[in-house]
Amino acid sequence: MDPDLIRNFSIIAHIDHGKTTLSDRLLNLTGTISDRDMEAQLLDSMDLEKERGITIKAHPVTMYYNAKDGKRYELNLIDTPGHVDFAYEVSRSMSACEGALLIIDAAQGVEAQTVANLHLAMKQNLTIIPVINKIDLPHADLEQALVQLEDILAIPREEAIPASAKNGIGIEEILEAIVQRVPPPKPTGAPSTQALLFDSYYDTYRGVVTHVRVFNGALKAGSPVKLLHSGKNVEVKEVGSFNPKPYKRDELTAGETGYFTANIKSPLDIKVGDTLTDAKHPSPPLPGFQEIHPMVYSGIYPINTADYEHLKANLAKLQLNDAAFVYQQETSVALGFGFRCGFLGLLHLEIIQERLRREFEMDIIATYPSVVYQVTMTDGKVEEIDNPAHLPATNHIETIEEPMVKSFIICPNDYIGDMMALVAEKRGLLVHTETLDGSRVMLTCRIPLGEILIDFHDRIKSLTRGYGSMDYEHDGYEASDMVKLDMLVNGESVDAFSCIVHRSKAESRGRSLAAKLGEVIPRQQFQVAIQAAIGGKIVARETVRALRKDVTAKCYGGDITRKRKLLEKQKEGKKRMKSVGSVNIPQEAFVQVLKS
Amino acid sequence: MDTPVPSLYIHVPFCSHKCEYCAFYSELLKPEQVQRFVESLCGELKQLGPALQPRTIFFGGGTPSILSLHQWETILDCMHGMGWGQIPEWTVECNPATVSKEKAQLLKQGGVNRISMGVQSMDAHLLERLGRIHSREQVFRSFEILRGAGFENINLDLMFGIPGQDLKIWHDTLDTIHALNSEHLSAYEVIYEDDTPLFHQMKAGAFDVDEDLIESMYESLIDRSTAAGYHQYEVANFARNQTSQSPYDVPHWACQHNIHYWRAGDYHAAGPSSTEYVQGVRRQHVSNTSLYCDGVQSGGRGIVSEETLIPPVQQGEWAAFAMRMNQGLDFKLFEERFGHHPTQLWGEQMQSIQSRGLAVVEKDHFRPTPLGMRFADAVGSEFVYLQD
Ligand SMILES: Nc1nc2c(ncn2[C@@H]2O[C@H](COP(=O)(O)OP(=O)(O)O)[C@@H](O)[C@H]2O)c(=O)[nH]1
Ligand code: SF4
Ligand SMILES: [Mg+2]
Repeated sequence: MDPDLIRNFSIIAHIDHGKTTLSDRLLNLTGTISDRDMEAQLLDSMDLEKERGITIKAHPVTMYYNAKDGKRYELNLIDTPGHVDFAYEVSRSMSACEGALLIIDAAQGVEAQTVANLHLAMKQNLTIIPVINKIDLPHADLEQALVQLEDILAIPREEAIPASAKNGIGIEEILEAIVQRVPPPKPTGAPSTQALLFDSYYDTYRGVVTHVRVFNGALKAGSPVKLLHSGKNVEVKEVGSFNPKPYKRDELTAGETGYFTANIKSPLDIKVGDTLTDAKHPSPPLPGFQEIHPMVYSGIYPINTADYEHLKANLAKLQLNDAAFVYQQETSVALGFGFRCGFLGLLHLEIIQERLRREFEMDIIATYPSVVYQVTMTDGKVEEIDNPAHLPATNHIETIEEPMVKSFIICPNDYIGDMMALVAEKRGLLVHTETLDGSRVMLTCRIPLGEILIDFHDRIKSLTRGYGSMDYEHDGYEASDMVKLDMLVNGESVDAFSCIVHRSKAESRGRSLAAKLGEVIPRQQFQVAIQAAIGGKIVARETVRALRKDVTAKCYGGDITRKRKLLEKQKEGKKRMKSVGSVNIPQEAFVQVLKS
Repeated sequence: MDTPVPSLYIHVPFCSHKCEYCAFYSELLKPEQVQRFVESLCGELKQLGPALQPRTIFFGGGTPSILSLHQWETILDCMHGMGWGQIPEWTVECNPATVSKEKAQLLKQGGVNRISMGVQSMDAHLLERLGRIHSREQVFRSFEILRGAGFENINLDLMFGIPGQDLKIWHDTLDTIHALNSEHLSAYEVIYEDDTPLFHQMKAGAFDVDEDLIESMYESLIDRSTAAGYHQYEVANFARNQTSQSPYDVPHWACQHNIHYWRAGDYHAAGPSSTEYVQGVRRQHVSNTSLYCDGVQSGGRGIVSEETLIPPVQQGEWAAFAMRMNQGLDFKLFEERFGHHPTQLWGEQMQSIQSRGLAVVEKDHFRPTPLGMRFADAVGSEFVYLQD
């Protein structure tokens, strides 16, 4: 196809502003899918995505549009994950495009995610087409949205297209704007084929299917190609596009987007951001490649130890479609055999855990999530630590650095005070305050990633009665006074409860963990001491008093069977307990403490 | 012919009022129903007669003492007719509100030689709280009547952990009861059985269960009863001894019928909801008086369920229940019955229990320590057999 007739674009939006609805409209209007086949929310396929209104994985879709200039254009919509956890993937998908539709809900206005995603798009030098969606709503405020567009995002209001994805208003204008404003793909001038790999998934029939954007040359079945960063040579088996179902094509030419398959066994062999080139006459790699590193780690253990193999198999299945998810076998004294799992962020972690629980119906315990610390040792070596158990002894540590984020919080004016207090509580620094309109502000702050892992987003939502929104981008590392907090049960450390925390918070966290453990550890025949310790120093203590009896009296002829069954149940229950020292801790206690 | 079964339990399923905590099967008294029950019971006893040679009989309920003089006469006649006049231990449960001089005399003359009276508490307020129909005064009066009728073996039942009961009230009940000088005491912790009014009140948060207090009550039960001359021979049972006896023996006035249960002895049962255990098979009667009567009148016994215990289950049950008694697990008796020495089956468990100070291995017994008696569930659960 003539590159001048190709447009590659993506859509960025805050959750619920209408990305999926608009995508479906575009597919419909270009005749890519007929009304009859139109299934609402076509692009989001997983249940979990639909439920949470986020896109984790989506195919690029190719559509053809007969524009008013009389020409027929190939438009490639490259959907991006809707969350910064997947920022690297978002930026790779964006680098396969020349333009982006920026959707703003006319009733809600600019939200935190709008800002974060727009930043990513601007870094990729994409042409931005602002769309003010949902103008059909009675409380839509087009004027306000336009003011915010200019004031906060610095985009001229004349560029905005008012639309209603739901009622089909403005769709044609959007398509025309894509054709007119988004620049056509330009060849890179390299001597041979160059294609960017921006995603992959596993298909039972085709094997690993990789999403590509061809920048230079062409890609067709039979071509011997090289993956520059992973160093692999493979032969292309099939190329094609999506409409949105995959269909085979003879070739993908410069500027086009689609997929290819080859004899690649595992999606792990495909690195997002890698460049594919001619095996015999290789071109240089396209810019911007990075290895993906998990930002958050957590241990995942089967509640029932017999489920270990089953869990392992299911983790492998999940990884087939999610190369950013990594796992490795580990053992915990308290929890037995399990896996150390690495995630891109908290949402990613939640999604994986939820899929294990729901789709795979697994009973799992997840340990307290940890970010990755950079630990400089006294001998000058630097180690990356993602598991408190591996933190070296204090006397070997020179400094510990923790990952930081730049966070955007948008909230009604009334809640500025609450937000500032929350940011301070989370050891954050307010960098910048901007007024959005008469009633809302945007706070930009720098916060340790470790602090926003647990309840930051929920706290914002509840403090602002749902009106606040938050998003973030990664922002380097910073030296910090981190310590390891250990929880001891009758003098023995329970590894599953250890964590790395800031010194200022260690004591209160120790106290609350000890209190919680005191509640969930059942009384035993002897006194149980629960202690929180930093280094060797005890900072909190709880005692579970000794039980003085366990017999529930009374047991005559008619009660014997019942009593025996009770004893059997007790024995059964003991099998599900973990013994730390001589203290029996029920699995449920781990679950309760770790989930809170 | 099989060896005759040496024990018999009879369930009388009537009460004049339902207690708040009660999960026993009983119905409110209806005269026609009672008459039909008495006839059916005699019918079932006649069926069982040939298989039985009772050394212990126990009438439980419900409230056996609620039956009229005339009804008791019918039952006693039926039993005498089967040659059961002189039974070494024959117990009838009584409610202090339903004991009369005439009834006491009738039972005594009929061969009953042990009375178990459900006192539960000596505190007027708590008796009301539990929905008991009797008063503190009636306990004294009934006890006197029973003694007057010649009963030399009387058990008094008590409860602790009752909502609203504090240590002072409990100590007062204990002291008052000890002063009566009965031969036997049983004391139970309140159990919140599903679907009893008390259970629902607890679930609804009407009161808190203070485990610490209940533990203290159990401790003072043991301390005070021991000081008053009682001897704990099972987690909930105390009896007077004879001076010559060793503390490890079963006390003289212990309840032989219950001991028989705990040693997994064979016993038959009659009456709705009752359970029997004969040659490794446990059977239960229907928990419905009309259905029970229908069953017996059509030539059956109204049995609704039957469970055959496989040997490892029998063995585990035996050991778990033995460990609730001060005598513990008797190696010889066990070996005679099952052909294995307990140490062969549970060597490791017994070591672990001993190392925790809950029991000691002796020459002929695995004997619980006083601590072990308090943790009889923890000990017992080591022995029960898990089937999959
Ligand atoms: N009234 C109105 N509702 C819309 C419009 N576009 C989308 N919606 C609704 O907004 C909600 C979120 O839309 P969706 O496309 O899933 O948003 P996404 O999270 O950005 O993909 C859905 O309930 C849509 O039906 C519109 O133009 N007008
Ligand atoms: S008297 Fe006994 S059987 Fe009757 S209701 Fe009260 S506790 Fe239950
Ligand atoms: Mg969506």
